[in-house]
Amino acid sequence: MNRFVLASLCIIAGFPTAATTQQPAPPPPNPPTHSVQGAVRVVDVRGRALEVTTGVGMALRIVRLEVPADVRVTAAGAALSLNQLVPGDIVRVSYGGKAGGYLAYTIERVGRMATGVEATP
Amino acid sequence: MTDRNRRLAAWCVALALAALSAACRRAPQPGDPLPGLSKAERARFDSGRVAFENVFTPGTGLGPLFNADGCAECHEEPVVGGAGDEIERHAAAFHATPPAGARACDELVALGGPVFQQRVTPALRAAVGIDSEPVPPEATAIAGRSSPDIFGFGLLDAVPDSEILARADPDDRDRDGISGRPNRFFDGRLGRFGRKAVVPTLREFNDGATVAEQGVTNPVVPDEGTFGGRPFPPGTDPTPEPELSREAIDLVDFFVRLLAPPAPQRLSREARQGRDAFASAGCDGCHVPVLHTGDSPIRALQHREVAAYTDLLLHDMGPELADICFANATPSEFRTEPLMGVRLMTRFLHDGRATTLEQAIELHNGEAARSRDRFRTLPAEERAALVAFLKTL
Repeated sequence: MNRFVLASLCIIAGFPTAATTQQPAPPPPNPPTHSVQGAVRVVDVRGRALEVTTGVGMALRIVRLEVPADVRVTAAGAALSLNQLVPGDIVRVSYGGKAGGYLAYTIERVGRMATGVEATP
Repeated sequence: MTDRNRRLAAWCVALALAALSAACRRAPQPGDPLPGLSKAERARFDSGRVAFENVFTPGTGLGPLFNADGCAECHEEPVVGGAGDEIERHAAAFHATPPAGARACDELVALGGPVFQQRVTPALRAAVGIDSEPVPPEATAIAGRSSPDIFGFGLLDAVPDSEILARADPDDRDRDGISGRPNRFFDGRLGRFGRKAVVPTLREFNDGATVAEQGVTNPVVPDEGTFGGRPFPPGTDPTPEPELSREAIDLVDFFVRLLAPPAPQRLSREARQGRDAFASAGCDGCHVPVLHTGDSPIRALQHREVAAYTDLLLHDMGPELADICFANATPSEFRTEPLMGVRLMTRFLHDGRATTLEQAIELHNGEAARSRDRFRTLPAEERAALVAFLKTL
């Protein structure tokens, strides 16, 4: 067996010394978690989606989030269902990016906005 | 002269010189920094002024939508940091009985609101054929917004929430006809900046303003938003985000934060009479003469008295002035406008519709109607005295 064939076999089979030092493939990194606190603008129960108004100063923005069925929605520690959220609720949402949008991880209702009425966060 | 007497004389001379120096210390003029800055703070303030005066072009980040090409385009009279003659356009939709699944107030954020910019870059005009951001038909009101002077805003920022909330009386429990309601940002924090008191801090106001007013993104607001709710067409925003560096926006913020309010002028006899009339008419129920700052990392802002003439709360000003809703504010509710530096203004009220202080007072209604009526019934010389007093602020 000449050296060329031996080298080719080693590459195909995996060189034994390389195999002993090879580390297991690291798990895929968790997507970074972001957090937003803002006012619910739209709750789409059927489409499992939420829109939150937030922003900086006068530069307001809307964050659109997918809400998978297993996402924990709470208020003062008690569990809620998505359809118990209404526009004007102030929510704190942890979320991460996914292809084409954002995915909610947790949603906590922390207060309520109400035009013409004092709101207590 | 004995040594003891010589030392005593030296002390007296030193004391006299110190007193003379204090007396001669110039009161802050429009555009000056707050007194008591360190050398380093003063240098940073001066650098901040340069950053504030920067003029943007499309090549350096301006647009695609914008109202001004730099901060100083609108904050310029009589000096940088002062008021401007531009009137912006804000819009919102208010439904006293909200439709199902909606808040009473829709700031039209999904359609480009609430600030609808009035200028566009040549690239955006060429791409979509517009000269300004269109206000959508969903709007129930369009508001004009004048550019106020920003003198003393750092002191307003340093007033603790507790001092503002202590004056709130949303149900008018003291039966003085004045309620005073705090507004809150969308995350629930107390608001104080802007004509509807929506923005909680000066830093956020400044960070948001570069984008909302100039279309210049920064590390805190790194996206341009939309035009009318749609993404900007490719090629219309060629400058990479963020278009303003952290260092530059920090300098702008430092300059704005440390701009001193113009010192109130010495009161003449007439102005003293006017100050009494201001109080007896009940104007000081909302235009609270003095606020106090709390802790601050900047010594010049710590524990100061501010002749602010505002309570930073919302008050119902009646249907004639009503325009847009914003967060918890109804269309007729406005934050009490600070009167510090009012002598430098040439247009008054939130949209600049009044050209004299007398007109501005006459246009007060709602919770201010009682004070306006008291002003109307004052003898002419007392009305003139009240206006003379305002012109010392």
